[in-house]
Order: sequence, then C-alpha cells, then structure tokens
Amino acid sequence: MIAGLAPSLSRYGRGLVPLLWGAGLVGLLTWLPRAEAWFRWLAPEAREVIYPRDDFAVLLLNHLALVGVASGLAILLGVGAALAVTRPWGRDFLPLASQLAAMGQTFPPVAVLALAVPSLGFGALPTVVALVLYGLLPILRNGLAGIEGIDPAVREAARGMGMSPGQILWRLELPLAAPVMLAGIRTSVTVGIATAAIGSTIGAKTLGDPIIAGIVNGNSAYILQGALLIGVLALTLDSLFEAVTPRRG
Amino acid sequence: MSETPRIALKAVTKRFGAETAVDAISLDIAAGEFCVLVGTSGCGKSTTLRMINRLIEHSDGEIHIDGQPIREIDPQRLRRRIGYAIQSTGLFPHWTVARNIALVPGLLKWSRARTRERVEELMDLLGLAPSEFADKYPAQLSGGQAQRVGVARALAADPEILLMDEPFGALDPITRESLQEELRRLQGRIRKTIVFVTHDMDEALKLADRLVVMRAGRIVQQGSPDELLAAPADDFVTSLLGGRDRGLKRAALTPVARLMRRVDAGLPVEPAVAPDEDLRLALSVMLWHRVECLAVVDGRGRVCGSLHLSDLMRAGI
Ligand SMILES: Nc1ncnc2c1ncn2[C@@H]1O[C@H](COP(=O)(O)OP(=O)(O)O)[C@@H](O)[C@H]1O
Ligand SMILES: [Mg+2]
Repeated sequence: MIAGLAPSLSRYGRGLVPLLWGAGLVGLLTWLPRAEAWFRWLAPEAREVIYPRDDFAVLLLNHLALVGVASGLAILLGVGAALAVTRPWGRDFLPLASQLAAMGQTFPPVAVLALAVPSLGFGALPTVVALVLYGLLPILRNGLAGIEGIDPAVREAARGMGMSPGQILWRLELPLAAPVMLAGIRTSVTVGIATAAIGSTIGAKTLGDPIIAGIVNGNSAYILQGALLIGVLALTLDSLFEAVTPRRG
Repeated sequence: MSETPRIALKAVTKRFGAETAVDAISLDIAAGEFCVLVGTSGCGKSTTLRMINRLIEHSDGEIHIDGQPIREIDPQRLRRRIGYAIQSTGLFPHWTVARNIALVPGLLKWSRARTRERVEELMDLLGLAPSEFADKYPAQLSGGQAQRVGVARALAADPEILLMDEPFGALDPITRESLQEELRRLQGRIRKTIVFVTHDMDEALKLADRLVVMRAGRIVQQGSPDELLAAPADDFVTSLLGGRDRGLKRAALTPVARLMRRVDAGLPVEPAVAPDEDLRLALSVMLWHRVECLAVVDGRGRVCGSLHLSDLMRAGI
C-alpha cells in the first residue's frame, strides 16, 4: 500500500525499506518511555503522560503474536480452501467459496468481534477467532482469483505434456497465482494489524490498550502513542510484503 | 498394410452426457503418416485428437498405439511419449523459451547436458536462434514465434507421435503459410506420425498424406488429397473441398515437373515457372501474360522444359 513510496528502488533497495521501518519501530519503543516532554502539551492536566500500565514492547509483542497466530491460521485456511475448491474433487464447493469470499468484505470487523464475545468470552481467544474469520476472506478471494485467472490453455498444455496434478500445482498454479495470493495475504495482515487493536475492547492485550485508555481518561497523549506504534508496525509489515512480492519484467 | 498401424481407432465413441461427440470412428494411421482431420467446427475433431493422449477418455471402442490398448498405459507416461501442440500454444508464461521447450525432457529426468543440447537442436530446427530467443519469455514473442516454440516443445523428447490441434489457426495468413511450409519440410526430415486437426481445407490439402473428413462425429470420407479431389464422396465433401473452386485446389497440389515437356524448342526465357512450383501458379502466370505456353526454368536459370495449357487440359487437372 505504500508501494508508491519506493517506485524506482532496485531489488536491493526494496529490501532496505522494511529494515528502515523496523529500525524506526525499535527506535520508537526506546524513545517513547523517555519522551514525556514531547507529549506533555497534549495532556497538560494529566498525572501521567506516557502510558504506564504496560511496557510498549510487551504490548507490541502481544499484538504481533495475536496477528501472527491469526494470520498464520487465515493463510492456511484461506490458501487451503482456495486450492481445495479448484481441484477436480472440490469443484462442487467453488461457487459457495466465491460467494463467501465476496460477502465477507461487507462485514465490519467490529461486528465479528461483537459476535465472538457471547460464544467465546473475553480475551485473546475471541480476538484471534475474529481476526482469522475476517482475515480469511481476502486470502480466499485472491487465492481463487489467482488460480482461476490462469489461462486454461496453459493448464491444458501442462496436462497434455504429461505433468502430474502435483507438478501442475507446484510448478504452474502456485507460481502463477503467487503475486495475486500475496496481495491478498498482504491486505489481510495489514487489516489484521489495525483490527487487532479493537481486541483491546474485549480484553486482549494489544497496542490498542493505550488508545482505549486514552479515550476513557481523555488523555490524547496515550492515544497518539498507541496510534504511532500501530501505524509504524503496519508500515513495516506492508513494506516487507512489498519487498518479497515477486515481479516479472 | 500388413504391419501394425502406429495408431488404431476401432469403433471409438465419445459421449458427453446425452450428446454423442464422436460416433464409432475407425481409423488406422501408419507410422510416419501425416493424417489431417478436417471438418466444420464442432464435428468432433478435437475430441478425437484428445482421446489419443487420454486428455479425454473414450466411452466405447478401443484405441491402440503400436498394438497396445491405451487404457493399459498410465496417462501421464502415455502423454510424455506423445507430442501435443495447440492453437493457443499454452506456453508457461513464467518460464523462458528454453525452459518451456525442456518441459518434457525435464519430466523424463534427462540429464542437464542432454536436455540443453536437445533444446538448442530444436531451436535451430525451428528457426529460433538460441542466442536470441532462449532467455525470452512467451510474452515477448510474436504469434508465429510462440507457435514455433510450441512445436519445439511438443517435439522435445523426440516422440513417435505428434498431435496438433489447429496449431496455426490464430496466425495471420502469411505467417501461417510459412509455418505450413516449414512443417512440411520438417516432416520430410523427422518422419513422425502426425495427427493434425484443422478446419482450413487449403491447409489440410497442403499438408496431408491422408485426409479424414469428419461430419457430426463420423468419418465421411478418407483418402489422399488427390483421391478426395478426384472423387468426393458426397455434396458435403464437395462443398468442403471448395465446390467449383476445386479445379484450382487440385492444380495447387501438382508440381509443374509432372506435366512439363522436356523439349525446350527455343522458348523465350520469359514468362517462366520453376519445376517445383505448382500448376495453380502456372495457370495464374499464363492468365497474366495471356500465353498458352510457359518456359520451365531450373534453379540455375536454365530452360529445362516447357509447360502447355493443352497438356493441362488433357491431364484433366
Ligand atoms: N468437455 C466437453 N463437455 C461437453 N461437451 C463437449 C466437451 N468437449 C466437446 N464437447 C462437444 O463435443 C462436440 C465436438 O467438439 P470438438 O471435438 O471440440 O469439435 P471440433 O474440434 O471439431 O470443433 C461439440 O458439440 C462440443 O460441444
Ligand atoms: Mg476443435
């Protein structure tokens, strides 16, 4: 999503961008606890200016762990489902999968969280479940688009040359679908970073904590600190995807 | 023919649901024969072709290759033994030309050196300079070049049989003609058993040792191009062969050498034709120059004979 930032960088240069954002993130983590002077003007009346309840690093790691677990599951399920329904034995479920993938985009993540609470209670588990469900859909949708987008003549030729279904999957379908699939995973993870913060409202420990606390206590400094960390984290991961996306030219 | 045909179809039928696409077809194709299936769109040509490499399983009857029923052969092993080229080429867009051509040798686990040697040999054979084309991607090729790569890929593992489904159907007329010419020349050298599908009768007449005319899933007539032109079985074959235009089509199949007189009786060197040019062209030259007699001039520019309109008329061309 920040592709425009580095349009002319070489391959080497593209690998540099996520490193820079990552360094920025680490810098932010070490600087924030000592930056009272910088944030004071946002909350002149407050007793505390820097969010005190948890170490930012702990929140960040927790946030990442939630998104990591959820994205891992979403990738497994999404890519798995996209492959399954495009095999001859799974074709019957292709229309259902397509509809599901299309429908999911109209469903706000907050609603998924709200629905998860009554059945799963509060904390990390319902957050992960909501993140998986929500993150699954762009992965499934792009997975289907990637595989269905392959020229049928190419598949026909592959079969006609005597490639096995496994060879067709690994040498043809996955490499050709990879850019579109990766774009779906990228969307899913980036949205997941933002959505995970909402997990704080149902008791998961995330970078959303300072934001919620800031809103509750009317402390804008907390809000800014949480938002800064979430923003830089999202940019770091997004640039990482930008760097690993294969391109042919 | 006493020897086993390379490909034998015995009362082969293919049904898709209630529809019968191919209806009890029987056909023997000898080793080294260039067999062209021709007929209007939807008559079952592609289905017949794709049953031979088991991309489609036949519903009834038997297909044998070198006497062995193909149902007994593992489909993937069978297909690696049979070259396959299609109209839209189906080249892998993420692979270079060289890698595309090396596909089947790769599946057959040839050594790297042997594969590379074979790829270069084929690229030379098909007029694709390896230094220029080996590392290009399919998207960087013209239609004709892509089709050459498709044919090279089909020939890569030196299969005995080559199946071609309208391989030149999407090309412009000039590229198509030059590729037809080259395929004919190539076949003269490699002598594969080729089953070639087209709906273009001129292409079929030009390439075929044997023409198989299909209609609605059945074979209407088969024979050499000359035999069909001389005695079409019914009105359908007649119209497919070009109706009243078939006099010229037949002339196009006959070289000047067959009707020329060896005596040259001091003819002017112009207008002239070459002995290996066809009678259709000779007629055109006669019309153009309003003469009834042409000099026949060989490759070294010497008059080696003469061609007379009256001889064409007598021969019944
Ligand atoms: N996979 C398929 N499923 C159902 N019908 C098919 C299939 N393939 C071909 N057909 C039908 O079989 C008939 C012959 O098709 P085809 O062999 O492709 O014709 P041709 O190559 O001569 O144009 C057509 O009526 C076509 O609709
Ligand atoms: Mg066809």
